[in-house]
Parts: sequence; C-alpha cells; structure tokens
Amino acid sequence: MKKLHVRDIILIALIAIIFGFIYLASDGLYNALTALLTPIGYGMLANDIMMGIWCMAGPLAGFLVRIPGSAFLGEFLGSCVELIAGEQWGAVNLISGAVQGLGSELGFTFTSYRRYDWFTLFLSATTTTIVTYLYDFIKNGYSYFSTFNMILYFVVRWISMLLFTCVLVKLIVNLLEKAHVIQTNQN
Amino acid sequence: MNPGLKLFLILIISLEISLVPNLGANLIIIGACLIYLLFKHINLKKLFLLFIIPLFAASVVFITIYYFTPSRSLYQACVLFTRIYAYVFLGAAFTETTSFLALARSLEQNFKLPSKFAYGTLAAFNVIPKIHAEVNRIRLVGDMRHYHLSFYSPALYFKAILSAVSWSNSLADGMISHGYREDKERSVIVPIALTKKDWLIFSSIIVLLQPILFLLK
Repeated sequence: MKKLHVRDIILIALIAIIFGFIYLASDGLYNALTALLTPIGYGMLANDIMMGIWCMAGPLAGFLVRIPGSAFLGEFLGSCVELIAGEQWGAVNLISGAVQGLGSELGFTFTSYRRYDWFTLFLSATTTTIVTYLYDFIKNGYSYFSTFNMILYFVVRWISMLLFTCVLVKLIVNLLEKAHVIQTNQN
Repeated sequence: MNPGLKLFLILIISLEISLVPNLGANLIIIGACLIYLLFKHINLKKLFLLFIIPLFAASVVFITIYYFTPSRSLYQACVLFTRIYAYVFLGAAFTETTSFLALARSLEQNFKLPSKFAYGTLAAFNVIPKIHAEVNRIRLVGDMRHYHLSFYSPALYFKAILSAVSWSNSLADGMISHGYREDKERSVIVPIALTKKDWLIFSSIIVLLQPILFLLK
C-alpha cells in the first residue's frame, strides 16, 4: 500500500489552509442565514445548509493525493489551522474535524481506493452526511427535534453535501485534470 | 503541563460533555477553566471576548431548543447553551497557554507522531500569510476582469490549488535539501518533558470528572 510522504502531507495541509481561507468568505452568509432563520425556529438549519462548504477539503485531498488517509487528513488538518491560529474553538474543533474527516474517508474506503469518479464523490458526500449528522444528533441536540425536523435537517445537509462536496469538487477536479495537475502529482 | 497530554485531556473532556447532557458538569468545567485562565494571567480583553464570541451561537441553540422543539425543555436548552461555553473555555484553556510548536514537538517526542506529520504540517502552516495573500490576489485579479470569484467558484479553488502544488514541491525540496529525511531517527533540539506529575494531573482530572458527569444532577 502506498504511504503518505512529507510532500503529500504538505500539499494536503496547504489545501486545508486554502479552503479555510475561502470558507471565511461564506461566514457573512452563514450569519445572515442564522439570523434570518432563528425567528422561525430554524436557526440551527443554517449549519446544515452550509455544512457542504466546510467539508470540501477532504474529498478534494482524497482525489488529488490518491493514498488512504488523505481525505481524513484534508479535513482534520483544516481544524488544526484554527488551533494554530489561536482560535478559542480550536482545540474542540479537532473533534469535529476528525468526525468530518472520518466521514469523507469512508467514501473512499468503500471503493477500496480504486474508483475516482462521480460515484466515489457521491458515496463520500453521503457517508460524511451520515457521520456528521450522527455527531450533531448527540452533540447539538438534534435528538430533541420533532421527527419531521430530524428528517428535514438530514435532507438539507445531504443536499448541501451533494452540491458542494460532490458537484463543486468534481468541477474543480475536472479543471485540475484538464491542467494535468492530478496526473503529474501521481508521478 | 505537557502540551500533548493537555490536548488529549481537553479532547477527552469535550467528547464526554458532548455525549452526556449535564448542566452542573458544564458549569463546573466553565468555572474551572475560568480559574485556570485567571491563574495564568489571561488578558482581560481576551476574557471578555470569551464571553461574547459564543453568545450568538449559544443563543441560537437555546432559542431553537427551548421555543421550537416538542419538549420545550428549559434544562436541555441550558445544557446546550452552557455546552458551547464549556467548549470555548476548554479550547481557550489550551490555546492561551500552549504554543503550537511545543505541541508539535510534544506529539513527536512523547506520543510517537511520525516526524513527517509534525514537520510537514509545520512547514505548511508557516506559509499561512503567503496563502492568505495568494487567495486575496486571485480574487483581486478576478475582480479586475469583472469576474467575481467567491466560495462557490471552481476557478478560485483551481487557481489556489495550482499554487499549493507548486509550494508543496518547493517546501518539500527545501526540507530535503536541508537534510530532512522522513524515516530517519532525528536528534532533539528542544526536549519536551512528560513527567509523572503530568500523568498524575491528567488522571486525577479524568477520575474527578466521572462522578461529576454521571452522578451530579
């Protein structure tokens, strides 16, 4: 089995950092959505709407560095950035980062790291949705919701994952393939 | 306390309070972290921010659980409200008292983390200001061509990843040319101690936490 080398680790960490900076651009939208949805009781839904954006580094790292563990690292190192930046949430976000990373990685594991196409991204988006939802179910009180809301939150999160970690990641991967970045990186 | 062990302690406590809803335990953890931070002479402005920053997120959770769930339980809403504060105070108890370099060294020396992870990640994190500038530059170039690049634009990620690939190659070449070998034994410049006292503090806190979490009502 191929192992991660220092070059791969640096690349994955850089991707995690870059995505972290780009996510910052979506913070305004997140706050606005939360403020808008809170009066009607769906403030926490903003989290699920945005979840796909925060989970893009994992599948992209998994696609770019085709070695077991890279999707997990892509997500997990993203949460390390906050720790290093001295963010107060930093240490605790490592757990969320690990949970998201595990979800991302599972999609690649289920295809035995052999398929790199739409199906793998779809699978990874779905496993990330399930794993992160289960974590929020316990941690963020989703278990107190009505059955309808439990399903609604799950479906919204799934759609967000499909849009960002599947469609948008595939569009980025297509550009990278056209530029021969993915092949050159394999050498 | 040893940085690596402190991180594991914070993570274990966070994970436990995520799984067990207990208002008393959350408040005790917040109080303990507050005392620890004051003992470590945290700047008052930072302390004030620790109360303000989580207020928005915690209030949203409180409102949703208290007003918009079938049980409308005040207790559960308070648990989730204080849980967010407990996370932030636990996080601050770590980040305000530990440097990342010390943590990386501790994880490598005391917890057998392969050096390629410690140094690979450190190498990438040292170019964070350059990455920030690069992402801003790409967006600015887009704006100059009346082509706004946002978090949903594949082109923004594509261009940033191209830079990342080139930097990762340069950084790795730089490390190798300075004599770094990823699977070889390394000498230690700054030793990080992991003493019996560290283990004693770690295990005492973990043992103390269990009755608070499971018996305190």
